[in-house]
Amino acid sequence: MSNAEWEVVIGLEVHVQLHTRAKVFASAPWGFGQEPNEQVDPVVLGLPGTLPVVNREAVEKAILFGLVVGAEIPAQCAWDRKNYFYPDNPKNYQLTQKDFPVTMGGKVEIELPGASRNVQGEHKFIRLHHAHLEEDVGKLSHSGSGSLVDYNRAGVPLLEIVSEPDLRSAAEAAAFLNALVMMLTQAGVADCDMEKGQLRCDANVSIRRRGETKLGTRSETKNLNSISGVRDCIIYETARQVRELEAGRAIVQETRGWNAENGRGYVLRDKEDAHDYRYFPDPDIPTLKISRETVQRLQKQVPESPYARQQRYIEKLNVPYTAASVLIAQSDLAQWFEVAVAAHPSNAAGIANLVVNDLLRELSASSGAAEGADIAKVSLASCRIQPAHLAALVKLTDEGTISKQQAKEVFTEMFQSGQSPVQIVESKGLKQNSDTGELEKIIQEVIADPSVAKSIAEYRAGNEKAINALKGPIMKRTQGKANPVLIDQLLRKALG
Amino acid sequence: MAQELYQLSATEISQRLAKGELTSRALVEALMKRYHALNKKVGAFTHLDEADVLAQADASDARRKAGKTLGPLDGIPVGIKDNIAVKGQPLTCSSKMLAPLVSPYDAHVIESLRAAGAILYGRLNMDEFAMGSSTENSAVQKTFNPWDLARIPGGSSGGSAAALSAGLVPLALGSDTGGSIRQPASHCGIIGLKPTYGLISRYGLVAFASSLDQIGPMARTIDDCVLLLNALASPDARDMTCFNKNHRQQLPEVAAKSLRIGVPKGVLGKGVGAEVAAATQAAIDFYKSQGCTIIEVDLPSSDLAVPTYYVVATAEASSNLARYDGVRYGHRSANAKTPIEMMTNSRSEGFGPEVKRRILLGTFVLSAGYADAYYVRALRARSKIRAEHLAALEKVDMLLTPTVPTPAFKAGEKISDPLQLYLEDIFTIPANLAGLPALSVPCGKSGHLPVGFHLVGAPLSENKLLAAARLFEAAHGFANQLPTL
Amino acid sequence: MSQGLDIDHLAKLARLNLTADEKKLYTQQLSQVLTYFEALAKADLPPTADVAMVVDESALRSDEPGKPLGAEAVTKIAPASHDGQISVPRVVDDES
Ligand SMILES: [Mg+2]
Ligand SMILES: [Zn+2]
Repeated sequence: MSNAEWEVVIGLEVHVQLHTRAKVFASAPWGFGQEPNEQVDPVVLGLPGTLPVVNREAVEKAILFGLVVGAEIPAQCAWDRKNYFYPDNPKNYQLTQKDFPVTMGGKVEIELPGASRNVQGEHKFIRLHHAHLEEDVGKLSHSGSGSLVDYNRAGVPLLEIVSEPDLRSAAEAAAFLNALVMMLTQAGVADCDMEKGQLRCDANVSIRRRGETKLGTRSETKNLNSISGVRDCIIYETARQVRELEAGRAIVQETRGWNAENGRGYVLRDKEDAHDYRYFPDPDIPTLKISRETVQRLQKQVPESPYARQQRYIEKLNVPYTAASVLIAQSDLAQWFEVAVAAHPSNAAGIANLVVNDLLRELSASSGAAEGADIAKVSLASCRIQPAHLAALVKLTDEGTISKQQAKEVFTEMFQSGQSPVQIVESKGLKQNSDTGELEKIIQEVIADPSVAKSIAEYRAGNEKAINALKGPIMKRTQGKANPVLIDQLLRKALG
Repeated sequence: MAQELYQLSATEISQRLAKGELTSRALVEALMKRYHALNKKVGAFTHLDEADVLAQADASDARRKAGKTLGPLDGIPVGIKDNIAVKGQPLTCSSKMLAPLVSPYDAHVIESLRAAGAILYGRLNMDEFAMGSSTENSAVQKTFNPWDLARIPGGSSGGSAAALSAGLVPLALGSDTGGSIRQPASHCGIIGLKPTYGLISRYGLVAFASSLDQIGPMARTIDDCVLLLNALASPDARDMTCFNKNHRQQLPEVAAKSLRIGVPKGVLGKGVGAEVAAATQAAIDFYKSQGCTIIEVDLPSSDLAVPTYYVVATAEASSNLARYDGVRYGHRSANAKTPIEMMTNSRSEGFGPEVKRRILLGTFVLSAGYADAYYVRALRARSKIRAEHLAALEKVDMLLTPTVPTPAFKAGEKISDPLQLYLEDIFTIPANLAGLPALSVPCGKSGHLPVGFHLVGAPLSENKLLAAARLFEAAHGFANQLPTL
Repeated sequence: MSQGLDIDHLAKLARLNLTADEKKLYTQQLSQVLTYFEALAKADLPPTADVAMVVDESALRSDEPGKPLGAEAVTKIAPASHDGQISVPRVVDDES
């Protein structure tokens, strides 16, 4: 594939289920894992005579999203009917917003993968066209000669976020979705649990020769339900379109599906078969005025954006990028971290490392998550360590009260019992050996050992690093209890 | 001659019940007796659960005995058009499509009637899905005009109007999208009110055209109409188009001298039958004689009303009726191999010809390439019609016209000519397009057939219209007049 | 005369089967109605329609879950069901 010659242009339409208790136009509850058709009321079922009433929380969640991405919140929004027949669509029209969506514009900051895991990649802004509030449809399953319909999902609030065609690679698309998920979950707008189908995506893909400004003919692949699915589909679709054009064939505007199992796309329908949705304003839902007071109130709920937070951690707190990038993915984790830092501000990096490496590993292991599972999604609910206690542990280590090795032991105990590190250190007698007399004796014994004579000579000749060869045996004789700072001091004194 | 119970107005019934001169049970037994004698002939009711009616009447009598009467409607039967949901009762809209459906919920107006102690008294025939002006489009049965059984009662609330004028029930609910309460009221010599759009919740009213539909009271006297209206008009958060303030009011006494009545230019001209024109003119003359100011008004876009209405109404209907597909409830075709086939066959078997015609028309006016020329232009025309009416209603208190150009026609006469039938609604449609309250009041006869005049007022001026109509009613003998059957 | 009326296309969009006679009749009747609608095309109209109805946020529903019907009530009115779900002939393609 001669990708060097071709540029791919991608726009995404992302459907996310909003975090509400009741449905978007009905009071029926919704939630995952219920028995079929138990979350259905006359309105959801589209019984004759029923009418939609818009859920305030759904509107506010949509506005909040708009504020998170810096979108305009128009003074009015309105709903339209999109007419098409399908057994999972109870009214055979979907209530959606075509001309007057709840948010207009906005942009999402994305971070591309760096050269390696430790290197921060390039940042870009992807513009949004708009986001609109609509309803989900029911679920179909197939059994033998028939199909079965469960309307529990019907009427669940969906925010459809429509990007401009600003994305230029599968990696950018994935980065965009990662950023969106962070923003949506951190603002409490949506849970974005892809395993529960809470985020689904349509990808509009076209290619053009590099340098060309006109957009090529696009295909739209519907209903991608994971970030990796979006990435794979875009790679596949780009290759397919390059192949077509290089073979002298034209790209046809079509709607496509994606088979995640075999990693292949397929045609659903071409332009000729395109639906005639006969959109018109829904006469049951009047145009809705959005007050500026509501917008101002919601503006206060907008959290710090994930990449602004990452930058602050790196620049102000001296946290390494690798740790910062993990912390920002989950706002409760970042908040946990910040509470800890407040208790011991002088070593945020030390705290960050402990959180990102030890704490997440233990939480992940104790939750029974599979090896390699997305560690950032771990729940802090079951965490017995308090942020201040973790800070205290780092402080004890920094002050030399306990060694790093002892710290690991204390951490494990803290994770299991929820006790404070001070308590653990005391009850286990883990206090680091700072008895100078005893330590001086051990140092004298070690430096008298002929096997280290060479190192001593090198040190005395000016090789600073040679001193390290002596520290291991000393530490070993103290069973790891010696304060490394003290060892260093006394050793230098002993060697003159 | 002693008055039979079936001849009593709801207001009289209410007084007699209050005085203990009558029980609800005695009343419904008399009405059911009449139902058995006449319903086959008139065809007004499609369903009457007599045991349920008796139970409701007994409950009302028990409340009264215990001193816990719920209000002036307690114990009074109200007939329900079969497009309003009553929990546990059929909701057929006189269509094969919904024949199997028993509603699992109550409409807002039904909850209100229950709360007022009214007796939910049977289901009334209608044009299928309220589409028609003669009730001939019912898939269930024919309804005949009690004044002349060879003629239609009007429609789509033909069952409601016929039941009232046949003395089968003292009050009834109708619904009005383009004249469906007022046109049959005029044809059957009764009173029909289409309230201001938004006054009465549509929750539980099966939608024909959502932006035009309103439930309204039908009765034989103005006082009865007010009694029922006040029970129906209350805020309901389940209908976003329903006002969220309470607009129930006492009927004001209006001084005829202060009333300005507008008569549209040329309204009694072409297309209006001579006797209809004469009866309407007599009503105008009556108001003039009482000291009202009669003002000629100009409504230049009147000619656009019928096309605008049929574009908007059919467009909305094509979408509103899409849900009837045999999947979740209602009729399902037995022979289909795919869902598309099942939906298509179910709809083809379930809908009658007028419903299909309107679905096709509505689908066309919304379809790609035509929506701008038809649907969008109709919305613009609707704005213009509304603006002209509101402007006229700043200069006058109400507009007066005939309700229907000609009296009730013979059954079968116009069924094959949809366009002719669409013109029946020429005077009633603008009130729906503009969301205005409108009332049909009996005002005379064309031969042996009743004729009504039509009052249209500014939004929420129901009480003024009703008060003006009561002036007329008090001076004439048309109230509570029943034909001999 | 028929103003672009493609009765087969309309019937398909509206999910209706029409017999040949019905197609003929409806084409003729709808054409007549559409001719009558030409008054709209000729009329001098405002450039845009007014917004039909506007409400403020007080018309919105609070996010309080209400009581659902329950699967039993849902399947009771359904023409065909299986284990709480509504059954339909097999959906061939998952497109929507
Ligand atoms: Mg889409
Ligand atoms: Zn969507």
